[in-house]
Amino acid sequence: MTRAMERTATRSIVAGLATLAVLTANAPAQQGNAPAAADILAASDRVRNPDQAFRLTNTLIEYVKGQPRNRVVLAIYAREDKGTRQFSNLVRYVDPPRDAGKMVLLNAPTLWFYDPASKASIRISPQQRLIGQASNADVLTVNLARDYAAKLVGEETLQDADRKERDCWHLDMAAATPDALYSRVELWIERGTYRSVKGKFYSDSGRLLKIAYYRKYELQLGAVRPTETIIIDAVDSNLVTTVTSSAYRFQAIPDAWFQRDFLPRLKAD
Amino acid sequence: MPLRAGARLAVMLCAAAPVLASAQENKDLDFIPGAVQGSAPGQAPESGAPPRTPRGRYYLEDALTWSSLREGLVVPFPPPSPPRWQNRTSLDAFNQWDLGEHLTATVSDRFNVLEQSGVGFPSRQSFRNDFREGYVTWEPATRNYLETGRINVRNGVALGFNPTDFFKTRTLVDQASLDPSVIRQNRLGTLMARGQSIGDGGSAAIAWAPKFYSPAPISSNAQPSLDPQFDKTNAAGRLLLSANYDIADLSPQALVYHESGRTKFGLNLSRQIGQSVVAYAEWAGGKQPNFIAQALAYGKQTGTLPVNAPTLPPTDSAERFRNDLAIGASWSSAAKTTLNLEYHYHEAGFSRQDLKNWFALGGANADLPAVTGELWYIRGFANAQQQPLTRHQVFLRANWTDAFVSNLELGAFAFVNLYDGSSLTQISASYYLSDTWTVRGYATANVGSKRSERGSALQAGGAIFQLVRYF
Repeated sequence: MTRAMERTATRSIVAGLATLAVLTANAPAQQGNAPAAADILAASDRVRNPDQAFRLTNTLIEYVKGQPRNRVVLAIYAREDKGTRQFSNLVRYVDPPRDAGKMVLLNAPTLWFYDPASKASIRISPQQRLIGQASNADVLTVNLARDYAAKLVGEETLQDADRKERDCWHLDMAAATPDALYSRVELWIERGTYRSVKGKFYSDSGRLLKIAYYRKYELQLGAVRPTETIIIDAVDSNLVTTVTSSAYRFQAIPDAWFQRDFLPRLKAD
Repeated sequence: MPLRAGARLAVMLCAAAPVLASAQENKDLDFIPGAVQGSAPGQAPESGAPPRTPRGRYYLEDALTWSSLREGLVVPFPPPSPPRWQNRTSLDAFNQWDLGEHLTATVSDRFNVLEQSGVGFPSRQSFRNDFREGYVTWEPATRNYLETGRINVRNGVALGFNPTDFFKTRTLVDQASLDPSVIRQNRLGTLMARGQSIGDGGSAAIAWAPKFYSPAPISSNAQPSLDPQFDKTNAAGRLLLSANYDIADLSPQALVYHESGRTKFGLNLSRQIGQSVVAYAEWAGGKQPNFIAQALAYGKQTGTLPVNAPTLPPTDSAERFRNDLAIGASWSSAAKTTLNLEYHYHEAGFSRQDLKNWFALGGANADLPAVTGELWYIRGFANAQQQPLTRHQVFLRANWTDAFVSNLELGAFAFVNLYDGSSLTQISASYYLSDTWTVRGYATANVGSKRSERGSALQAGGAIFQLVRYF
């Protein structure tokens, strides 16, 4: 091959890749029936989150190199503010015994941690949601459509956690409010059902922190919802946590519950 | 021809684009453990049914403490000296019971078995019970509470010094760590009647603790006893009013406190700054004499000091409005570390001159136990009140969760005297062996020159090994 031919071939490949980039970028436009990214995200929020105040139990099991190591059980009380679309969350540690009775309150933007042993309510930062054996950020109920600006990357066929092929919309989301914990999130949502299949969560520096798979969709509180999330620590992939939800029930939760002085008053159930 | 080949390649790549992206994404599935992938729908592997939230908390703890004591102090420490070593085995219990639909009983207690140098075992000094709380709560209307008994009421947003934690005085009992957050886990409540109403936007509370006993003397060593020690917590009539209502994301709490004819006011504020910082401030103020005058008056009242004891070191004992302040911030990182930095101002505390006078008087009268005893009594009084000795102090604290390996937590804190640069420093390591077993180690040091607050302390350093079994 002469040098001129090499240059021509190189130019052709570059042109081809440029065409590919343009075609890929325009993929949503070509998929004329695809809803807007924000609508897809809002619909996926409705699949994950009940539209009335509710309570559930989350069981978190941390695996280290494939072996179960830590188990944390949390009772979660959540309620959506219909005006702001923001969820308030009250998290109570049930297990292990050393943490039983501890609580985390998120009444955005305010976060409080309560320890019944010291009777201390300590205000914590959003970053501290990520600290602890069970990251509270992984169990809090949030409306992603409220906190992120979504862009439709394209349609992709993806294997879910059970290795079944799913036709998905691939969303790329950037934090749009100070309440968004992650700077960037990628989310794959199944076309038609709006079920979340996979998510990738990034830090401010662009580092991939976590990979989440949503599975075990079951009828709970009036809709088919994911009852298990598998979270892979992208920084140390030997660490994997499963979050299994159970004991769902609708429950009236008054405003008064979401303030620090109520934390010592919340009765165990 | 090459151009057509390039176009074909582009078309092929376009057609394959979603598949290529997905293939890359599907590799993430390889990180999922087989036990998780194989679990049946609707079942959490090895989880079983979620447990009911326990109402109680029980644990057995053993703490072995070794202390290094200083010789040749500028101001000799009055006997008896604290033990060189001590082993404490404690059964700690907290529980709540429903007595009726709107009636709850709460009990919190710790029973200790002590072995220490210089004391035979078993003896009268080998057993101590810390009856922390015991009260009943009645909820006559939704989120309106009336309760009575021994209650631990705690206020304040700071970590190292809580000016608004008005019920903290004389509540200290033995603790493994000197970390303020650990100390709070084992303190005595106060006999009181309390009412609280929690509304949608805020809450209000009133607590009244009557005087049942005459003030009890302050001892440098905790005396082993099965006595509930109500004379420590109910030696004065006290009234506390508090209210909070969230405004401007500041979570303010206002307090008014009245004790023995004196009234103090308090305010707590906190605010989030960005994603990683929480700033907070805690203030209390009221008319009172300075700290030296308070200590001497209490010592004379309880008979520890003779009624004609001179004011040492000499000071302006006039009663006037004095402020206490703790202002600070916490910062958290993605690496699971949290740092706290606080400045503490205690206007009634020692000035720089008071501190110099303390050493000058003590040094010049080192062979006079009446003088050195009184000087050390003042410092013991500060400890019993859980207040800084001097006016200006800095508190630093660092915590690192999952440090190096999962389940290992490292911590460190330091109180730094801004007059002389001396510090009380502690480092700690906790490892969660399992859901029920925890092992901890602490190393503590009082660092500073001989004529500094911390460098003059009897205890130069110490180490603690602790094992905890939760049930």
